[in-house]
Amino acid sequence: MKNIEFFRYLPGAAKAKSASGLKKLVNTLLKEHRVYGTVKRDGFPVYAEIADASELELFSTPTHLSAKQFLFPPRETLLRYDIRRHLHEAVIESERQAIIGLHPCDIHAIALMDEVWAYGRPDANYLSRREKTLIVGADCMPDEYCFCKSLGTMNVNDGFDIFLHKIKKGFLVRTASDKGEEIIAGLKLREAKPYEVKELEERERLREASFKARLDALPKDLPEVFASSNESTVWERIGSICTGCGSCNTVCPTCYCFDIKDEVKASLSEGERVRVWDGCTLEDFAKVAGGHDFRKTRAERLRHRFNRKFRYLTDRFGMPFCVGCGRCSRACLVKINITEVTNELIRESNKRRP
Amino acid sequence: MEKKELPRLAFFSFTCCEGCQLVVLSCEDELPDILSLVKIVNFREAMDQKSDVYDIAFVEGSITKAEEVRKLKKIRKNARVVVALGACSSTGGLNCLKNRWPMEEVKKEVYGKDALRSELFATLPTRAIDEIIQVDYYLHGCPISKKEFLNLTTSLLLGKRPDTTNHPVCVDCKMAGNTCVFEKDMTCVGPITRAGCDAICVTYGAICWGCRGLVDNPNTDAHAETLKRHGLTADAVMRKFSLYGTCKTRKC
Repeated sequence: MKNIEFFRYLPGAAKAKSASGLKKLVNTLLKEHRVYGTVKRDGFPVYAEIADASELELFSTPTHLSAKQFLFPPRETLLRYDIRRHLHEAVIESERQAIIGLHPCDIHAIALMDEVWAYGRPDANYLSRREKTLIVGADCMPDEYCFCKSLGTMNVNDGFDIFLHKIKKGFLVRTASDKGEEIIAGLKLREAKPYEVKELEERERLREASFKARLDALPKDLPEVFASSNESTVWERIGSICTGCGSCNTVCPTCYCFDIKDEVKASLSEGERVRVWDGCTLEDFAKVAGGHDFRKTRAERLRHRFNRKFRYLTDRFGMPFCVGCGRCSRACLVKINITEVTNELIRESNKRRP
Repeated sequence: MEKKELPRLAFFSFTCCEGCQLVVLSCEDELPDILSLVKIVNFREAMDQKSDVYDIAFVEGSITKAEEVRKLKKIRKNARVVVALGACSSTGGLNCLKNRWPMEEVKKEVYGKDALRSELFATLPTRAIDEIIQVDYYLHGCPISKKEFLNLTTSLLLGKRPDTTNHPVCVDCKMAGNTCVFEKDMTCVGPITRAGCDAICVTYGAICWGCRGLVDNPNTDAHAETLKRHGLTADAVMRKFSLYGTCKTRKC
């Protein structure tokens, strides 16, 4: 059985209605943080700012967009300048924030982003925002696209401050940081009861048995699969149906590519340098001066993206850069499915083996 | 010090609603700065004066009359830089819808059967301005985006290459945090349409109609399949593609 001392009991439903423990938690966070969490909009779970505890609703299914926008905004100012006055200043916009409702895959994704943005020349903007971010996780149930189980990202033991496990009547709460512990201690929750922990274990068994999507190889074997798949006909086939809309990049919690632009004010002397999201599946991504293009076709661009997730970044950081959230498959209008494509390459690779 | 002559800007308007000129006029916060850097010599929506001496011509509207063809060619001759201002000018826009029918039929439908006997109603199939003259820069959209107009103008004044958008609306849509319209049981042409609009239509609850025209190298076949999978007939797909795209999808 799980160590019962790790858990405390928070009463209440998945919606932070009146008198629920969740409402108490959100209200505590609202005192010192800008709070973001999952809400229902147009019938779908999305991340949004929570001004009042009653807006929050925890979902067992994933949001379409990831939560990366709160750490790596779609657009942010890096620099302001005024050439007439010979001024320029770096801009780092960050404030204390809490993100509520992150599933284990999302928490793993943030841990990967932490590695990326600290690698080489550390990115002051990301790191400053990250340092001021409190993460409140929540558990989930896989839908038809989720495959975190195949990538070892199904559970988390760190990378969050507070984690909420839903049980029938309320939540079992874990903490993994001093900040998280301080907040939970302030709520004066009772310890979990053995039957509650048992219920949680039962739920986790059910969750583990509920995965429909899976990869047919171990994470450690994936770099080799992709290294040997450059010539596969799979790329041409998915390239022919890809519209290059970039959604697999923009919804991905670990895609971090960006473009930098200078935006000049009408005075022509003042301006801002801004960073905006970019994506390797977009037509112009690998175009450089002189009209040269390193990846001219949609097939090459998709091959690059898959390799980034399962091979190139694994070589650099030692782990896959896909957390199995399934968002790219879910968002793809032409139904390019990350597990199906990868499994096809795994099959081809197995066949090539002597 | 000798006063440097300011670059001369001219705005021209052909067949359109002149809404893109209104967007230019709505740049109230920026216009004072811009007017200290340029001299505007033609702008029908805003002033009476006219001149044939200008450096940069912003051309709004599509070309639907022989007289417009002559005027447009003259503008090209006079200007150093020609900018297509808005969908009608850059892709032919909505006006291209009439190209689906014979011109005689269009005239009769709009002006009555007497119109067929009068020279006053002479009309040509709609064309984007680059089907007649060479265009240096494009400001897409119905209407144009203020941000892109300002970016282009400041870039030209600084002598740097303007920022051009060649990614589909899906990117802007995700950046705006929208739920995909296909998830909401609607359909759109965002995946093949040039963005730069911040996905304003979807953000406010509508769909992407494709007013900014196609991205370079669009995969229209793949998107037609997607639309069919979402319940559209082949004919409905064609109608969706041709609302703003008749001129570019079917050469007129």
